Amino acid sequence: MKVLILDKAGFQDWLRALAGEFDIIGPAENTKGLLDWNKLEPGELPDFRPGLPKSSIKTFFFPQPETLLEFSARPGDDQAFRPHEPSEGRRARLLAGVRPCDARSVALNSMPYASDPYFLKNRENVAMVGLACTQGCSTCFCTWTGGSPVGSDGMDVMAYPLGDAFALEPVTGRGKDMLLKASSAREAAQEDLAALDALKASAPSSLPDAMDPASVLREKELMSLYNASFWQGLSESCLNCGTCTFLCPTCYCFDIQDETLKGKGRRIRYWDSCMFPLFTLHASGHNPRGEKVKRVRNRFMHKLKYFPDRFGPLSCVGCGRCVRDCPVNIDIRQVMKDLLAI
Amino acid sequence: MSTVNEKITSEIREKVRELLASGHVAAFLGYTSGSVPMVMQPLIIRTPEDADRLEWNSFCVLNLANYLPALLKSFEPPRRPGDPPPEGPLPKVGVLATGCWSRNMVIQVQENQVDRDRVVVVGISSRGMVDRKKVLAAVGHRDVTAVYEYDHSLKVSGPGYEREINRWDVVRDNCRTCVHPDPVIFDHMIGDLKGERDVADRFRQVEDIEVLAPEDRWSWFSTEIASCIRCYACRNACPLCYCPTCFVDDSRPQWVGKSIDKADTAIFHILRAYHCAGRCTDCGSCESACPMGIKMRILTRKLQKDVLELYGAEAGMDMQSPPPLSTYKMDDPQDFILTESIKGEEK
Amino acid sequence: MNDISKSKGAWEPKIIAFLCNWCSYAGADLAGVSRYQYPPSIRIVRVPCSGRVSPNLILDALRSGADGVLVSGCHPGDCHYISGNYYARRRFALLKRFLEFVGVEPDRVNFTWISASEGEQFAQVATEVTERVRKLGPATHLLKEF
Repeated sequence: MKVLILDKAGFQDWLRALAGEFDIIGPAENTKGLLDWNKLEPGELPDFRPGLPKSSIKTFFFPQPETLLEFSARPGDDQAFRPHEPSEGRRARLLAGVRPCDARSVALNSMPYASDPYFLKNRENVAMVGLACTQGCSTCFCTWTGGSPVGSDGMDVMAYPLGDAFALEPVTGRGKDMLLKASSAREAAQEDLAALDALKASAPSSLPDAMDPASVLREKELMSLYNASFWQGLSESCLNCGTCTFLCPTCYCFDIQDETLKGKGRRIRYWDSCMFPLFTLHASGHNPRGEKVKRVRNRFMHKLKYFPDRFGPLSCVGCGRCVRDCPVNIDIRQVMKDLLAI
Repeated sequence: MSTVNEKITSEIREKVRELLASGHVAAFLGYTSGSVPMVMQPLIIRTPEDADRLEWNSFCVLNLANYLPALLKSFEPPRRPGDPPPEGPLPKVGVLATGCWSRNMVIQVQENQVDRDRVVVVGISSRGMVDRKKVLAAVGHRDVTAVYEYDHSLKVSGPGYEREINRWDVVRDNCRTCVHPDPVIFDHMIGDLKGERDVADRFRQVEDIEVLAPEDRWSWFSTEIASCIRCYACRNACPLCYCPTCFVDDSRPQWVGKSIDKADTAIFHILRAYHCAGRCTDCGSCESACPMGIKMRILTRKLQKDVLELYGAEAGMDMQSPPPLSTYKMDDPQDFILTESIKGEEK
Repeated sequence: MNDISKSKGAWEPKIIAFLCNWCSYAGADLAGVSRYQYPPSIRIVRVPCSGRVSPNLILDALRSGADGVLVSGCHPGDCHYISGNYYARRRFALLKRFLEFVGVEPDRVNFTWISASEGEQFAQVATEVTERVRKLGPATHLLKEF
């Protein structure tokens, strides 16, 4: 596939050209000065500084909340309590400046959601322009989880910073079409391609040593990990808040609820967290994960054992959001090491 | 020469080793450092050898009282509601306590969450804890790989930079306006008591908002909480929040919706803060735990200011005074009562 | 009729009134029996005591579309449960200031004491609260919409 070279102004023009088709969203400073997903004005560039947007990319594919259906809740209505499709249609969205780990999380979530119409519809409706990482953060560990700082899994177009310009590589057919609008792009010359290859080869080395915990953990006997002694100590520090699960791009548990208000009703699907006391609470009042230690264990076992057993890779992309923002410094990297040591 | 915190750390270790070795306490609740600079991990240790894992520095921001009821319960035989209390003395646990944490322990005793006789409090007069978010802002939100703490400054470094920051400049807002750094209850003391601090404008942050017009106050509040992801870190970091079922989890009636919605998020924050009225010690755990940098502490601070103004009370200062909202006076102020204010106008 | 509903002045505030069973509800009843006029914008919810009214109830009213809230109990000293209204008074004093702090307009949430013999006062308060809320217009801040 053809690689194109765009300078910053050209990138801007390209995004402006795409604004006709898409709402463009990318990393930008929020009102608190933190990098987060924000709507970009036509032609506005995403913030290219190293680091990830604060919140999870999953909200664009697995919205908080997703309206599944709507209904009239006025008993007198002849259509009362007859569900219909949500009326609101959304414009196509383009996420610009997506880091490889975030895009890979979308690809991973597509596995459990392979036949989920809502997820698939959003997947179709959201395009991603990636941005390769040239500098890892101290909390990054994508190479432990099967990712790469220059990986293009899940992207439509991948951008690699080359000095002041960007090399753009289409990844999907949609990406190819999008690049047709990059009017000021030039085709990459031989030396550009050489620089791009050098970048791809060198980027992973800025991160901690790659390892492959997924294949090791898949081989391990489930109960030996489940009954490991360190879960107790780990859960004693845990606050059981939902910071890790809500910031996590690959946590995909949900709950469903009907809301009625002033004669209108809707059924929403919203994020659930295995950290919360209502998670897996049965109608009988019994909860198989009633205690904190069981919930903490579930979070890690799901990511590091149950998911790989079922789908292959870890349900973790190594973005490090949970590591960075856990109020009590529970570090999934340490949990991985502890599990691997068993 | 060792720093103040290094000295405190070694004294803590010594004291805790002694408490555990003598069997005086079965477990000790303290802090250890972890993998990320500026984030400490609450740690429960059970053997004297582990005492060396304990650490003390300016990043011990979460209130340890929060873990106390569950820790005590872990040493009790399982009991159903209505069962008689267990016979015989139960094991004691030790815990570190600064001024605000100790006040929360007083509240826990008053609210029957903690048995004072089973807690050995090792007191530390607080020098004020550092706000990690202020440090991150000071270095332009760049990656921080190491932080070294001196008595009055922090050396912060990351890829391609090193900065020295004045400690007091990055101390948390609640600590900067704290007047009670000394523990109000303790069985052992690390270092000396420092006495009350003199703070000129304790409630300045609140007053700055009070003077705004209602619409501007609303716009401040709604902007402040706009990025809330409803992870409930603020609630879970709070030693006052121990209800078996939180109001956010009630479903009949459902007080707040489950997802992200402007009104629901606003009501969550209003009710969460209000539930702390007359009980909050301004320990700042909620704000420190928030991943999104929401300054929800200003809400509880406002309630504290009003409780002090209206009822002359501060939470958890001593075991004898009842919590201000569990008591009343015949002549409590009531200008806000409509019939009274109409009467007042007629006069 | 149709014209009125389309005209700009058609909006009438909805006000939820939490009245204690022993004094204020009886006061409202007396207002009715005595044929005192008060605006129909008041929707009464009878509660056992003003001490029963938790902030959850008040916020739920605003979330569900109330434009104003009125809470009324027995005068201090008259509580059927001896001290329910004294505790309530502390809670309401803080709540009122707190809601104002986050930007809820001062006249949105109102507290008052009405005894069982004060039918006329109830009608006055109901009128006064309705007027105050009408001036503010529809409540939007804590209203949930989808």
